[in-house]
Amino acid sequence: MEANTIKITMDGKEIFPEEGMSILDAARQNQIRIPTLCHHPDLSAFGGCRLCMVEVDGAPRLVASCVTPVRDGMEIITSNEKIIHSRRTILEFLFAERNHNCMICPDSGDCELQSLAYELQMDHLTVHSSFDTFPMDVTSPYLALDHNRCILCGRCVRACREISGARVLNFIHRGPDSRIGFDFDDTRGESTCHACGVCLQTCPTGAVVNRYRTHYSVKGHDKRQWRKTESCCPLCGLLCAVTATTADNTLLKIEGNLVKDTDRPDGGQLCFKGRFEVLKTKGERLTCPMVRNHDGNLEATDFQTAMDLVSEKLNTIRDNHGKDAVLGLVSSMCNNETLGQFKDLMVRGWHSGAIDTLDGDHFRTLLKTRRHLPGSFDEASWKTIPDSDFILITGASPGRTHPAINSLIHKTILEKNIKVAVIGNSNPGLPMTSFFLPITREQEPLLIKAMLKHTVEIIGSPAQKAPDWNRICKETDLIDSAKLLNDSGLDKASKMQFQEMVKAYATAVTPLIVTGEGFTGTNDPSGLDDLLDLAMLKTYPSATRPGIILLKPFGNSAGAWQTGIPSIEPLSGSVNWKGGLFILSGEEGEAHILSGPASAVDFLAVISPFFPDPLARRADILIPAPTWMEEDGTYTSLDGRQTLLKPKLYDPPNHIQHMQDILSSLAEKAGWIPA
Amino acid sequence: MKLPKIATVWLEGCSGCHMSFLDMDEDLLNIFSRVELTDSPITDFKDFNFQDVALGIIEGGIANEEQVEIAKKLREKSKILMVWGDCAVFGGINTLRNAFSTQEILQRGYIETESTVNGAIPVHESLPVLLEKALPVNRFVTVDVYVPGCPPSPDAIAYCLNEILQGRIPVLPTDMMHFD
Ligand code: SF4
Ligand code: SF4
Ligand code: SF4
Ligand code: FES
Repeated sequence: MEANTIKITMDGKEIFPEEGMSILDAARQNQIRIPTLCHHPDLSAFGGCRLCMVEVDGAPRLVASCVTPVRDGMEIITSNEKIIHSRRTILEFLFAERNHNCMICPDSGDCELQSLAYELQMDHLTVHSSFDTFPMDVTSPYLALDHNRCILCGRCVRACREISGARVLNFIHRGPDSRIGFDFDDTRGESTCHACGVCLQTCPTGAVVNRYRTHYSVKGHDKRQWRKTESCCPLCGLLCAVTATTADNTLLKIEGNLVKDTDRPDGGQLCFKGRFEVLKTKGERLTCPMVRNHDGNLEATDFQTAMDLVSEKLNTIRDNHGKDAVLGLVSSMCNNETLGQFKDLMVRGWHSGAIDTLDGDHFRTLLKTRRHLPGSFDEASWKTIPDSDFILITGASPGRTHPAINSLIHKTILEKNIKVAVIGNSNPGLPMTSFFLPITREQEPLLIKAMLKHTVEIIGSPAQKAPDWNRICKETDLIDSAKLLNDSGLDKASKMQFQEMVKAYATAVTPLIVTGEGFTGTNDPSGLDDLLDLAMLKTYPSATRPGIILLKPFGNSAGAWQTGIPSIEPLSGSVNWKGGLFILSGEEGEAHILSGPASAVDFLAVISPFFPDPLARRADILIPAPTWMEEDGTYTSLDGRQTLLKPKLYDPPNHIQHMQDILSSLAEKAGWIPA
Repeated sequence: MKLPKIATVWLEGCSGCHMSFLDMDEDLLNIFSRVELTDSPITDFKDFNFQDVALGIIEGGIANEEQVEIAKKLREKSKILMVWGDCAVFGGINTLRNAFSTQEILQRGYIETESTVNGAIPVHESLPVLLEKALPVNRFVTVDVYVPGCPPSPDAIAYCLNEILQGRIPVLPTDMMHFD
């Protein structure tokens, strides 16, 4: 017997749980089943539904096992006629209280209330249903809340507080009118809900439903056909752990990994992209290769013919026009294996000196900054957000591009009351930001320069000087911050806010800067240089990396940049370009970026999961590819320091070749065979 | 040998439960050889002066005055009363109308539907009056056997019929129970 274990008897069996544990946890540890509803293993105990009642020491009053700790010598009965009767009665009341019409419920078949009714053979109600009707909230494109199916178990309220940290949900009104409310009785659409979906994941009933997959009845109604795959979400570089549920090769839902003992501070909440938008149809699927015929129309062909045509064309272009004649562009949403193969094919197969990623410009800006160290990213991990006491967001919209980062900042504001400043043109959808300076993207660098100068002044002459301290002092000496502030067009109140904000930053202990496209998307690295200096002033000497998080444009930007695909100088050899091969991942916006380069080549082949509008009008050959959900692959984290395997969630449609086969077939025909 | 008599009726429901009943495959032959079906919508029988039966079966909930009468009459004549389907057991899909008044329902159905021109709410002494709410059968009469499901599976119906024919009052086992 271990030091702090005690002895109790459960259903006649002696067991030895740890002191302080709940009866329910002790039972579960010993594979004894006690039905529950309001309890959720990843949330705090609530003790509201009373379904988990057990008998203790023969006492007539049953106790709720999820909130009652074990006591030495306890004798517990988890099931007898009286207990079953009590559980059935509770279930009947839950069904009678609101409107559970399972036959039209999106979650029928995936509902804990329903399964318990089956388990306890609740074949009718002995109490009368009220048939009172309750409202339904459909103001979010992602989630609906139907109060008619809510059993007021409070799981969503706890999940929103404990996991998401958003604290949007709470109980409102009283008695039979009790309801789950958003903020101060707003609609979800008007509330501070950021659609992370943990309320959906933890709701035991069909009260919170996913609007992107509303009915399990078509596919996957039978749970025995469900397949669960553990994977990760590659959409933004945070690589959140996910579990995908599929049936018959169709994606039913994606859920977060709520397990607490990881080094990830997000708690498994996911975001509107990873949980909901993944279920959205992204466009018309390319089902077979298409070739432009003599009439100028695209027509279907077989894989082999398409491969032959692409190689014939591009091999000839290489042979006749030499280096740089073949242009290769790849999306940074592709996995590392595709990126590596693409690079080999282009460089070794077609001798191309003209390859780039869709976000190459951002990489080049970063490369030109003073602090850039080749091969590594000189930045902080997003996991340090909960430890910071001041966060500056500028040149980035994390709420749109990296929603889990926004959510983590949101949570840290509410839990630790930290200060958050936003410099930029859009309100990030965070509650209670201490400072918001609304200026245009172009003017952001002006304010940062002014901020750098003031910060140096406030810090004064520290005992331990940050690297480059003398240079920074010299440079900031020349800055006319009053002029910069005037040029930025801030009004008087905002200028005062600016001073306050700089003071808060300069006196913070663990400040962080979150930036992104606003600073990397320009050709001029000086803004980013100032930001990096600004970060380093406050980060040194506790850390050697500047306290800055760089939000990158694509899910695997860090991987693509590390693979060395983006050319160091911007591609400008358009006179030489004769042929092109573009690889798209199928995520939004890619085809748009490529319209320019597409018109610079005579022959264009595009590999893409979807019909790449508007690019398709220009392409000579289209080759269908799997989506990221249909292929195994590794992805690199936002800060470039971690690489994770993302197993496929389901199989690609028939006749669609793996990316690996497409690229190695082309490489072989180009005369390069990997060792 | 005299076979036990069975009568079935279809009240506020969609006939899905009777379809499930007819979908029992060889169980149907097996059961028909052991009972005498007196009245049933599948025989297109319209007069509800039931004989005394061993088993009365109701599909559908109760939503108008005529249905109340039929349910009561069948209960009176049946030794055992079994109800089929979520409508009869819980109220089912019919209860969606409970959010509105009967006037609103008739107005919407007979006048405001998009395809209706010059509609009117029918009124005639032979037309039963709607109840304020669509309700489950056990709000009016005592029920002995409940077979939920929308519709119940043929297996669930066969199981309950077999149990009753062998003199037992069944409760649907977990693996045959579904509410959809
Ligand atoms: S929430 Fe559950 S019990 Fe309620 S209607 Fe939906 S499936 Fe049925
Ligand atoms: S989606 Fe997330 S933030 Fe919104 S209410 Fe649910 S748990 Fe809270
Ligand atoms: S919405 Fe779902 S999780 Fe929230 S209280 Fe209602 S039933 Fe429980
Ligand atoms: S599970 Fe214990 S009270 Fe709800």
